[in-house]
Amino acid sequence: MSSPVLDVKTRPEPPSSAPSPRTAWHARANAIVLGWLALTLVAMAARGVLDLPRWLLVHLFLLGAVTNAIVTWTEHFATALLRLPPAGPRWVAARPVALNAGIAGVLGGSPAGLPWLATGGAAVVVGVVAAHVGLLAVRSRRALGGRFAHVLGWYVCSGGALVVGGTLGGVMASGLAPESWHERIEAAHVHANVLGWVGLAVLGTLFTLWPTVLRTRMVEDVGAVARWALRLAVPGLAVAVGGLLVGAGPAAAAGLALFTGAVVFSLVPFVRTARQRRPHNPAAWMLAAGTCWFVVVLAADLFIVATRPPDEVAAGFETLLPLILAGFVAQILVGSLTFLLPVVLGGGPAGLKRSAALLERGWIIRLALVNAAVPFTLLPWASRAAWAAVAAAYAGFVALAAVAVSRKLRPSPPVLGIGVGAVLTALAVVFAVSGPTGPAVRTVEGGGVQTVQVTLSGMRISPGTIEAPRGTRLVLKVTNRDAQPHDLRLATGEQTPLLSAGESATLTLPPLTGPVEGWCTVAGHRAAGMTMQIKVTGDPAATHSDHSQHSGMNVMDGSALDLAADPSPSWKPYDAALRPAPGGTEHKVELHATEEKPEVAPGVEQEMWTFGGGVPGPVLRGKVGDVFTVTFVNDGAMGHGIDFHAGSLAPDVPMRTIQPGERLTYRFKAEHAGAWLYHCSTMPMLQHIANGMYGAVIIDPPDLPAVDREYLLVQGELYLGTVDGRAAGMREGKADAWMFNGMAAGYDHAPLPAKAGERVRIWVVAAGPGSGTAFHIVGAQFDTVYKEGAYLLERGGPGGAQALDLSAAQGGFAETVFPEPGRYPFVDHDMRHGEAGAHGLFEVTR
Amino acid sequence: MTLWTAVRFLHVISAALWVGGQLTVSLVLLPIAKRSLPVSTRAQVLQGVGRRFGMFTGAFFLPVQIGTGIALAVHKGVTWESLAHPGYGRILAAKLLLFCAVMIAATLHGWANRHHRTSFARSMAIASLVGSVGIVLLATALPAT
Repeated sequence: MSSPVLDVKTRPEPPSSAPSPRTAWHARANAIVLGWLALTLVAMAARGVLDLPRWLLVHLFLLGAVTNAIVTWTEHFATALLRLPPAGPRWVAARPVALNAGIAGVLGGSPAGLPWLATGGAAVVVGVVAAHVGLLAVRSRRALGGRFAHVLGWYVCSGGALVVGGTLGGVMASGLAPESWHERIEAAHVHANVLGWVGLAVLGTLFTLWPTVLRTRMVEDVGAVARWALRLAVPGLAVAVGGLLVGAGPAAAAGLALFTGAVVFSLVPFVRTARQRRPHNPAAWMLAAGTCWFVVVLAADLFIVATRPPDEVAAGFETLLPLILAGFVAQILVGSLTFLLPVVLGGGPAGLKRSAALLERGWIIRLALVNAAVPFTLLPWASRAAWAAVAAAYAGFVALAAVAVSRKLRPSPPVLGIGVGAVLTALAVVFAVSGPTGPAVRTVEGGGVQTVQVTLSGMRISPGTIEAPRGTRLVLKVTNRDAQPHDLRLATGEQTPLLSAGESATLTLPPLTGPVEGWCTVAGHRAAGMTMQIKVTGDPAATHSDHSQHSGMNVMDGSALDLAADPSPSWKPYDAALRPAPGGTEHKVELHATEEKPEVAPGVEQEMWTFGGGVPGPVLRGKVGDVFTVTFVNDGAMGHGIDFHAGSLAPDVPMRTIQPGERLTYRFKAEHAGAWLYHCSTMPMLQHIANGMYGAVIIDPPDLPAVDREYLLVQGELYLGTVDGRAAGMREGKADAWMFNGMAAGYDHAPLPAKAGERVRIWVVAAGPGSGTAFHIVGAQFDTVYKEGAYLLERGGPGGAQALDLSAAQGGFAETVFPEPGRYPFVDHDMRHGEAGAHGLFEVTR
Repeated sequence: MTLWTAVRFLHVISAALWVGGQLTVSLVLLPIAKRSLPVSTRAQVLQGVGRRFGMFTGAFFLPVQIGTGIALAVHKGVTWESLAHPGYGRILAAKLLLFCAVMIAATLHGWANRHHRTSFARSMAIASLVGSVGIVLLATALPAT
């Protein structure tokens, strides 16, 4: 016995050139499906170039192609099988327009960051599907029912599932759902839509389509099985979706188990039919393979739901997506179309044969390709090739079907022209606006503390990938540049608060031990592509690990510095403001040599040797002729000495090395003006100076004019690593960074204040130990330069100076008047130094 | 006002006349010609309009647009490489690709007309027109220079 599906649609049609209205309707409806399929394939091919999120691909296919197909074919089957009266022509015309407008809203709204558009689109889709199945139900009341009445229940329940799933999708897209709910909403959304909307529609159709495709009679009791299976499947799915939504894991698993049982039960006639007549044509093989993948997916999903907490179900379900999309849904769709398109496109027996032959071209290769490739899509190393194979197979079908459909479509010239022009324009616009907004991959060199700017905007996290060596302590400065709120959560548990437009937050990660995923937790945003990952690269810090173990100090590699990073909150900048010389001609000072662990670069603390607890040591200031009496106390762990360039005396006694606990008195008279260095006088001096034992003595030149502000900057080299580990770098003169007043790039984070029009005098002393400086202020000129006891340039003359050049252990000052408010960087213009920490800012205000 | 103002003016005015001319022919001239001209003269008139517009396109609009377009791109420092960059580069690249597609459609329109495939010719004319409007859209999306 043949099925009414064929009876209805293969009624001989008059062999005329103009297709019948019914054929034209089918051609149009399926052209839409094929259009979405083609768009999906184009998006897959262009994914890399256009940086498309996976969410978009999944929804192009499931929401675009599959939803259109389900609406079209449920209408067709319900009408044909139940012999329903035809639907109103206006509704038939308006339905695809409204449905596809809604779909376009969802697909365009989410990636564009227009939540109202996406939510509105979802509402339209839900409304159209609800109206569609509602009208089917209403029309069926007037129908006779009969042997195929059961199909209507499956379709109505399928539509009901989409109403639930689509509503949940709309809620996610709106961004209004509570943050803590989003994983569960997503899990419920995907289960309702994939298992309910797609699954129930497929199963309901297979009861009659399967025997028709196999060209055999239906087995006994199909109606009863269909009714009972539906009675079990619907409550099962409802409990599963509800359980996932409220976070009741066991209930969800039980519901899903019931649903799975119902599906297996509903497939009993399927198997019996297949035993009655084995698959012998392309459509049958594709439907059989697709159905097998459905069962595999259900089993795997049941395992996921049963073993994972509800919050992690959505992520687990995502891993099944290749099986669902390529194995189950696409195969069922293509199998059905392979059989049905020739039937509905008409053209009499000859036309049917011609269309069928066209659609079946290369089917064995396509079938084998898809089913062989699908498992490999799960393997990271093979997934790209596997997806390419799957896409090629389906692209073959889409091309063949497009030819078959276009034979019947015959659009009017204006419609065809507008369509072609619009498609060309749309493709051009998509290409024009494509591309990542920021660097997709940010590679962090070296280890240590690294700060990375992370931007949230346009449903993207930028950079999408951060690569850093093992052990790196990443600090992520996260800024929301979008109009809607976002946040960033890392798999390791760190999470920013929900950031409104323009807000920022900082995430501090523990040392990197392995890859870390990150995503926006706002409902739906993760699925829309707001994800990032942190990857581990090589292991450069390993060579230093031995040192760190026996010295117990931070391991620092020079290249590890991130000077743009924020200093730790406890860091206090060395006060660069230079106070006037105290009155009197005798100055008594006590200096203690100590070992400290100051912050020497943003986020980097390491052991340094100091005078007076800081780098540089305290500044001494006086006038020519003043006498300084310095009591030097060694509170350190090794021998130290002191050497004041500002005084002249026999070094033997005052500059001798004293042992820990000892003290000496160093008395000198400042015979000459200048900016003088003092430093530790103990060998190896290279190490003692490079480890921080230096400071400045300022002896004012006679009649030094008053200025509005005076600053002192002592420039020194910074060697990172353990005390022992640094020595080699010092000998080779390979400093890791340069510091002004003991902190690399410190005044970038604590700019020195000044006002426009004020005269500012900057004293500079080059402590070395190896390198001098070419001190320069970007945007300013010096009108006074005093170097090593002499004015090179005096105020009032026509000349100007751009840099104050000092060799190691020289000093001087330069004066400038900032012309207008702004941020003026000051640097050592030897850019090897300037870009490695010898850098700071003047914040000049009005 | 510099020399580049004049170059840009030529670029914009020829594009405006070209797109506007197509729109005028399609939306104003064709419907009236169909309604009021007898069939015998209609084909002749419309063919004449098409030829003359095609002549203007080939002799003036295209050379001016391509020439000034290349000059402006060179002036702005556009390189082949920069066409792939997101932002200005890609918008310009998309505009150029769409321009090529429109040219192909226009060529097909002429070919189809010569071979009396009128409905295909009409489709291609409309596709070319819609694409031209798309080019204007992309041009307005280019960041100001």
